[in-house]
Amino acid sequence: MQGPLIDTLARRGVTRRTFLKYCATLASMMALPPTAGRAMAEAMSAARRPSVIWLPFQECTGCTESITRSHSPTIEGMIFDMISLDYQETLMAAAGHQAEEALHTAMKDNAGKYLLIVDGSIPLGQDGAYSCIGGRSNVDILKEAAQGAAAVIAVGSCASFGGIPKANPNPTGAVSVSDLVKDKPIVNIPGCPPIPVVMTGVLAHYLTFGSLPELDDKGRPKSFYGDTIHDRCYRRPFYDQGKFAKTFDDEGARQGWCLFELGCKGPVTHNACATVKWNGGTSWPVESGHGCLGCSEPDFWDGGSFYKALSAPADPLKFAAVAAVVGAGAGVAVSVANRVKKSAAKATHETTTLADLEK
Amino acid sequence: MSLDAIPIHVVPPGEPGLTGNAPPLLRELLEMVRRLLATGEASAIDLSALPLTPADLDWLRDKLGAGEISVTLQANGESTLNETACPGVWWVMHHNEQGAVTSQFIEVAFVPDLVKAHPQDVEIGSGYLELLVSDL
Repeated sequence: MQGPLIDTLARRGVTRRTFLKYCATLASMMALPPTAGRAMAEAMSAARRPSVIWLPFQECTGCTESITRSHSPTIEGMIFDMISLDYQETLMAAAGHQAEEALHTAMKDNAGKYLLIVDGSIPLGQDGAYSCIGGRSNVDILKEAAQGAAAVIAVGSCASFGGIPKANPNPTGAVSVSDLVKDKPIVNIPGCPPIPVVMTGVLAHYLTFGSLPELDDKGRPKSFYGDTIHDRCYRRPFYDQGKFAKTFDDEGARQGWCLFELGCKGPVTHNACATVKWNGGTSWPVESGHGCLGCSEPDFWDGGSFYKALSAPADPLKFAAVAAVVGAGAGVAVSVANRVKKSAAKATHETTTLADLEK
Repeated sequence: MSLDAIPIHVVPPGEPGLTGNAPPLLRELLEMVRRLLATGEASAIDLSALPLTPADLDWLRDKLGAGEISVTLQANGESTLNETACPGVWWVMHHNEQGAVTSQFIEVAFVPDLVKAHPQDVEIGSGYLELLVSDL
């Protein structure tokens, strides 16, 4: 069981080329240089299984649902086998005292080395009584488990940022993992739920390089959350051309134009949906004709209506560039005029659309 | 129910859907081919990481043309590695078992890495041959 990964794979009938191909695709999705696929394959084939403990807190199990659908028969699924998943309430056969014993054995045997995955937020109200497992509050369990972990991976928006449980008025006093754990490296993989391959990608990165991926200012892996949905959206050319769907059933919607004016949060949402897509690369929200909800950003549930356009255009750089071309004087005039319109709109709580600013 | 049953047809951006993002790739390829000749260093462009429309890809593919060698790999879905009309420039497509494209590259190399046999695998092969010979 503890041999190099490539031997385990070979026993399952997975050839080296299959594995190389998988790594090439994985490297592509992780926005690593194309040649990194080979390096990953070399490193991963020699990797050994790390112990992984998965703790579910105040959550809906949507994240687990998503990850178990890491598409097709696949190596993602196998890599999942390649880690030693020692505790996962939904997936494990054991229950009750046996399960709790498995948890404590894994924590003791792999002290300081295991990866701790957390999904769900942690309620602090009423001394944490809102969510307990085996008679212990989530906050107690998290603190104990985090102590011996090499790193903590917060899966889903709830664990990363508090998510829906933390939404106004936050009746349970829910907080995120990073609000409680301060002395361990934490990777946030937000999304409601997150994309399956993003999670397996982070695990693969850990297996490959023995370290966690590079993170942005919100603790998210840059490789998957480095760009906004808008930056990578296939409807982006329509945005640039000023072609917008105004309702969900007008000509623009039928033509597949940009959903910005229908409330798409793509311009302010960092995630990989536009490139990785969902359900094994079948489609994703914008391709299905609905704007992005922004589920991988903090407090997305309290960000106003999903159907109200963002109040400012997403790309101020583009406006600056336009201004520079028009000429400094005219540029200043335009930006002043825009600022006046923006503040007027703010004052009246009206939405400023891109069209307004371009008038 | 197939997706065709939904009466919405997304028209790809504009006609003919060219964004102008493809032509600069030819210059990049030229650089990469020169590097391959000068230093022997292979390189690749990850096409799925770039904002290219299907029309852009068609344009690029059309410009690069088809070469003499096509390699098909059956590994967890089909992969094709086709040399273009420019020797040393390979169009590499990986499909999953359902036939969907999972990633797509243009590789600049004398032979793409994926085609070469790995020494460890050759060792296993030699073991098998030894077994065959001992049975003679």
